[in-house]
Amino acid sequence: MSDMRNPLGRARGLGSAKAGTGHWWMQRLTALALVVLSVWFLITVLGLLHADYPTALATLARPWNAVLMVAFTTAMFWHAQLGLQVVIEDYVHTRWLETFLVVLVKLLAVLSVIAAALAVVRIALGH
Amino acid sequence: MESYKIQQHKYDVVVVGAGGAGLRATFGLAEKGLKAACVSKVFPTRSHTVAAQGGIAAALGNMGEDDWRFHFYDTIKGGDWLGDQDAIEYMCKHAPEAVIELEHYGVPFSRTEEGKIYQRPFGGMTTHYGKGTALRTCAAADRTGHAILHTLYQQSLAHDATFFVEYFATDLIFDDEGVCRGVLALDLNEGTLHVFRGHAVVLATGGYGRAYFSCTSAHTCTGDGGGMVLRAGLPLQDLEFVQFHPTGIYGAGCLITEGVRGEGGYLTNAKGERFMERYAPSAKDLASRDVVSRAETIEIREGRGVGEHADHMHLNLMHLGSEVINERLPGIAETARIFAGVDVTKEPIPVLPTAHYNMGGIPTNYHGEVVHKKGDDPDAVVPGLFAIGEAACVSVHGANRLGSNSLLDLVVFGRAAAHRCAEIIKPGTAHKDLPASTYDQALSRFDKLRHADGDTPTAQIRINMQKTMQVDAAVYRTQETLQQGCTKISKIHDSFADVRVSDRSMVWNSDLVETLELSNLLDQAVATMHSAEQRKESRGAHAREDFPDRNDGEWMKHTLVWVDDKGKPRFDYRPVHMDTLSDDVETVPPKKRVY
Amino acid sequence: MAEFTLPKNSRINPGKHFKAEGAKKPRTFRIYRWSPDDGENPRMDSYEVDLASCGPMVLDALLKIKNEIDPTLTLRRSCREGICGSCAMNIDGTNTLACTRAIEDCRGGEVAIYPLPHMPVVKDLVPDLTHFYAQFASIKPWLRTQSPAPSDAERLQSPEERKKLDGLYECILCACCSTSCPSYWWNGDKYLGPAILLQAYRWIADSRDEDTGSRLDDLEDPFKLYRCHTIMNCTRTCPKGLNPAKAIAEIKKLIVERHSA
Repeated sequence: MSDMRNPLGRARGLGSAKAGTGHWWMQRLTALALVVLSVWFLITVLGLLHADYPTALATLARPWNAVLMVAFTTAMFWHAQLGLQVVIEDYVHTRWLETFLVVLVKLLAVLSVIAAALAVVRIALGH
Repeated sequence: MESYKIQQHKYDVVVVGAGGAGLRATFGLAEKGLKAACVSKVFPTRSHTVAAQGGIAAALGNMGEDDWRFHFYDTIKGGDWLGDQDAIEYMCKHAPEAVIELEHYGVPFSRTEEGKIYQRPFGGMTTHYGKGTALRTCAAADRTGHAILHTLYQQSLAHDATFFVEYFATDLIFDDEGVCRGVLALDLNEGTLHVFRGHAVVLATGGYGRAYFSCTSAHTCTGDGGGMVLRAGLPLQDLEFVQFHPTGIYGAGCLITEGVRGEGGYLTNAKGERFMERYAPSAKDLASRDVVSRAETIEIREGRGVGEHADHMHLNLMHLGSEVINERLPGIAETARIFAGVDVTKEPIPVLPTAHYNMGGIPTNYHGEVVHKKGDDPDAVVPGLFAIGEAACVSVHGANRLGSNSLLDLVVFGRAAAHRCAEIIKPGTAHKDLPASTYDQALSRFDKLRHADGDTPTAQIRINMQKTMQVDAAVYRTQETLQQGCTKISKIHDSFADVRVSDRSMVWNSDLVETLELSNLLDQAVATMHSAEQRKESRGAHAREDFPDRNDGEWMKHTLVWVDDKGKPRFDYRPVHMDTLSDDVETVPPKKRVY
Repeated sequence: MAEFTLPKNSRINPGKHFKAEGAKKPRTFRIYRWSPDDGENPRMDSYEVDLASCGPMVLDALLKIKNEIDPTLTLRRSCREGICGSCAMNIDGTNTLACTRAIEDCRGGEVAIYPLPHMPVVKDLVPDLTHFYAQFASIKPWLRTQSPAPSDAERLQSPEERKKLDGLYECILCACCSTSCPSYWWNGDKYLGPAILLQAYRWIADSRDEDTGSRLDDLEDPFKLYRCHTIMNCTRTCPKGLNPAKAIAEIKKLIVERHSA
């Protein structure tokens, strides 16, 4: 199909989605959360470097650690999903594939969040 | 000849050129319900209006007392009594509303503390008929032309105006009765030919500054409208009056606005002396441009130039301080840094007089209608043809234009032309059929140049012309240099028969376009040199050493010059309009011009 | 999908070399050449230019080549003082104006010159800017007001309000920034790009304009605005020293401001 559309029509395209701000804002908020949570995570993991398995389980089972761990994994997957969406939108220009990949990433992220949370809950509640 | 397929377009009005005047006319026409097309060889915001710096004159009186009648007087005096006083009245009277209109369109003017448009002093702009200094030039820092041109383009977008961008107009199309019916143009991007039919063609093609070697003008300032008019057998007017701007950057030729001196900058010679005090005791550095350029030339001639070759002057603004410079003159600070390697807060800028503006052009009345001399009628209108902006000679600038009057000229007469078109053209009027033979001449010329197979490249002829104009049609002229110039320039014009175009393609053939442009430049270079030779007096920008005085008895008249296809000029004259348009202001009779 | 290799007919071939005999101070310029008329692939021609008889800027060298060596070399140029924006091109790896770029500031031996990246090429150094201009028109870049303007007087604006336009109104639409932006390379069909967003902000920042809300509405879009990933190439490359990235950040801030957190 030869493109004989008027340049202004092409430039306007479908117009503004009046969206995207939530995405942009959440990406920044989750990034901020991850900065704080990553510090906690690193300190905790470094503290367990030479610990045995039961000690590690016991540490993670402490209420504050469990809560922060769920927060950390949730923020991480949420942020990753937002970021991957941008990457896909940037580079994948086949509409159906783009939609498929974005949805797939979102679903995987949700699954991962649930799985991570469940794992932590099981540990915290002593399975 | 190759057969060319020509696409036809029909509009009520066709505007050629998308600088300040062309854009103002284009959306003015759209506003009036006329179907208008604007044909331009460059995208509108690339037009040379963009390079205007200092400002646009209007007696708003925002920063002190002012009256449009003072402006009227200054413009007449600045033009050394060659300007048509009816047109000058029209322009100066309408200046305030034109500038206010620009502000309403969104031009980002600099502001006073009260929030009004900021105004600065400029050369030759006075109050009370020469007694005080007027603050009349409305400025957007030192990028006023840029601010105005972009705003006018934006308004054209707002009015859904039709543009044909990167279309080079080659020739006007006249019918047998001498009525202008349209224009032939080359679409650079497709390499196709187009005829734009219009009940009026408005030429807003700018000046021909590139006839000179050192000029402030853009590469695209090739006087295409003037060239087309000459080829149509119509005259141009007052071409001998070429303005040399006193402050072009030494070497590069880039413009440094008069606004620098308006803000308090001054010129010095090798001895560090403020020499303008000697030449214009009251206006000093703010005398009109011809006066300052002559003063600089004399200083250099008498050995007081600065630099290794003692061949330029210094423009000082260090004393203004970085705050004023950053706020009011940021653009020239940038230009001086890039093109002269100068930090303006610490060093002066090296400058010299540089070809800047053509007061002459296509003769028009104050409606923008092109006029010529027909029998005894010196004001006979050429039906269907308009000219505005620097391409035109209304004549509001007379023998010398005052700084900041040209942006004003653009918008006032751009609008006037649109209004006049609306008066005389009914939207949607059918176009008369024209026989195909109407375009024959224009087509064969195009075809001939497209296949031009001589021995001299376009650039070679162009540089010969530019060097000749630079030397022999300079700030000061004598019979000897002019005669020599006439012989040389006519010979160079002849050499065009031997031009070679190397690029044979059709898409974006800039070699061909430059050749078409050169042909326009050459005709006007010939006309300029010969017009200067025949005017045996000094007036405004035309300074003859052998005739140092103005001679109102013999020469208070406009030169009309025709150039035939052999490059031979012919002359006639039109009287200067001394009568004003209304009783609001009285004719200013000629008197001695001192600053 | 984004393409990571050039299509066959866009691969660049080696081109001709033009020697400058007896040059005192030769420097070689390698220039991208392509003409739609001959059906050939693009090539890189190289020209030796004697800098001893050439102006200081890259544009001077290009015009010297066009005038004295090869009149078929095609480029846009006009004001030659950095205000019209015609001669924007990629010189020595950077998008800039040929007229304000000094030859001596170009690194290395040969100076490589290409058209603005990722734009359709019309011929040689002339890119097709149609879409860029259409995007400019799409933001309705003019003063939009509902209140009638005062008759016979300007709309008032304080010097402080006017100052907000500094760094914005000076844009010359040369397209250097937009065509340096990877996001514009990949999604230029929908992303407005830094130049147009800076122009959009120029009106949002104008105290006289009364249509800020609908301007923000029109920009609030994952592609039109949020393809800006703060890469900052725009600000680095702007030949006028403007900061489009900052203008975009200001737009984002305003949009966030009108939402609840």
